[in-house]
Amino acid sequence: MGIKRLFIANRGEIALRVARAAQALGIETVLGVSSADRESAAARLVDRVLVLGPGPAAKSYLDARLVVHAAKASGCDALHPGYGFLSERAVLPRLCTEQGIVFVGPDAAMMEALGDKLRARSAARAAGIPLVPGSDEIATAEDARRVADGIGYPVLLKAAAGGGGRGMVIVKNAGEMTAGYQKASAEALAAFNDGTLFLECFISEARHVEVQLIGDGTGNVLHFGERDCSVQRRYQKLIEEAPCVAMPDDLRSKLHAAAVTLARSVKYRNAGTAEFLYDVARRSFYFIEVNARIQVEHPVTEMVTGRDLVQEQLRIAGGDALSLEQKDVQLTGHAIECRINAEDVDRGFVPVPGTVTRWEPPEGSGIRIDSHISQGAAIPPFYDSMIGKLIVHGQTRQRAVERLTAALDAFVVEGVPTTIAMHRAIVRDPQFISNQLHTRWLELKFLPEHGAAAG
Amino acid sequence: MSAADDVDDLVVQFQKSGLRELHLRCDDLEIHLSTDSAQPGISRSRGSVPAPVPRTAAAPVAPAQPGTPPRSRATPVLPDGATVVRAPYLGTFYRAPKPGAPPYVEVGTRVSPATELCMVEVMKLFTSIRAGIVAEVHAVLAEDGQMVQADQPLFVLVPA
Repeated sequence: MGIKRLFIANRGEIALRVARAAQALGIETVLGVSSADRESAAARLVDRVLVLGPGPAAKSYLDARLVVHAAKASGCDALHPGYGFLSERAVLPRLCTEQGIVFVGPDAAMMEALGDKLRARSAARAAGIPLVPGSDEIATAEDARRVADGIGYPVLLKAAAGGGGRGMVIVKNAGEMTAGYQKASAEALAAFNDGTLFLECFISEARHVEVQLIGDGTGNVLHFGERDCSVQRRYQKLIEEAPCVAMPDDLRSKLHAAAVTLARSVKYRNAGTAEFLYDVARRSFYFIEVNARIQVEHPVTEMVTGRDLVQEQLRIAGGDALSLEQKDVQLTGHAIECRINAEDVDRGFVPVPGTVTRWEPPEGSGIRIDSHISQGAAIPPFYDSMIGKLIVHGQTRQRAVERLTAALDAFVVEGVPTTIAMHRAIVRDPQFISNQLHTRWLELKFLPEHGAAAG
Repeated sequence: MSAADDVDDLVVQFQKSGLRELHLRCDDLEIHLSTDSAQPGISRSRGSVPAPVPRTAAAPVAPAQPGTPPRSRATPVLPDGATVVRAPYLGTFYRAPKPGAPPYVEVGTRVSPATELCMVEVMKLFTSIRAGIVAEVHAVLAEDGQMVQADQPLFVLVPA
């Protein structure tokens, strides 16, 4: 059937990315913006712009009824949610279906099944995927202590409805359980309106690896290799790489197979990511969760596979079969992405809105910039602090790191503080260069050594 | 004739009149003139119920010299021992943990150092602002859901 007119329900670099992918496929584009984003790069590129509401996201990008109404009123036959905002809320695909609009992503039922971490764990268990040792739903701090005593400390309390690190608390021993349980439950309730918790064995030095998947909804699923996103701060990824060269090939094959098996078992449709923890010392990986959307870090996968994942999303949503087979997905070289955030690293990473007075991104072969920023662009105070992504490709990880170092050194941004200087220091760190990383390396080692406020 | 000129004229007339005190309210403009410098201005609480400082409150102009431009929207006059709690950065000011929930504190609430007064959010970073001292909330200076600037006064706390 094919999509004719696409509504883009997002902003920033991903709105621009989706608009370009749609235009490359000959699809008309309509963008819903807040009044703060009328002059954004994506607004200038698309065929039509509708102002959804004022700057605060709750009154614009997060109002599902308003967004779907705008899509319907502008004659769109499909809607792309991007990432963040409403992209993982089942209400969005549900409203789209009611209005006869194709949702570029999985359907509401699948989103609900995968969005709830406990249900996703059940699906993974049923598919025979290894899980971090842990519990099902726990009702009280006493129950949590009983389970944790069996698993062994430290444990990680997590919100069943959670994401982004909220409702996550590390409990180091039985004595900390009551306070930890109350804190995690209160955070989960405040953030997700659901205080349900479960717990997992806390693997202190794990890498974060994730497998990019695309399914057609009938059980055909392809993987596009894995990404390593171990450089994080407060569970937020800062640097992502593809492939995960720290993982031996036989284990990588098992990882891909596990992710594909899981996605196949639920007949996954569209792009998604299965996330795992990789315990290097034990040579084991454990399923964490599925992200049922395109992710921020998808460009590193595109750089090593040469495939356009957003175009593939639009084709599948338009009713096409998968345009390739697994053997067509070949990985070449190594890619690394740095997230450039408008944050003051020296003041505990506080985000700083403002106006970009100078924007000179690096250029050259093997360098890709995904950003909506240009000189004079406003960074509104209402949204995420990410203002762009620098992605580099090289034949090996070492070549990629060298290229990244030069690219970061050439990157000039003025008007707001950014994380570029921190990235310059990271890529020169011996542990980063030798790839001796884990998810808490940045917070426990790098930031204290560099005297930066961990925040 | 501009509003500032009007106020200048008013000050001149007030000084000529021999009046000791003049309080004028017109739409959202409120002016208090007094010849007694110890006289409390608008921003001080009156009577038994402490009132929040009106956003448009003018500072007391007392005693004013003819031709002196009136100070407008200046820092409110603080009671003795008062502490001003300010915004840590530019962001959205929230008086309650979520929409529809009761505010963290009201005027008159007694607070301890750990008491949360409000949340300020910028670009998805939420920071709870705590009282830091044992005190009573004397005034709330910003409106729920509004943008506040870095260092903008948010609360006045007075010794309980």
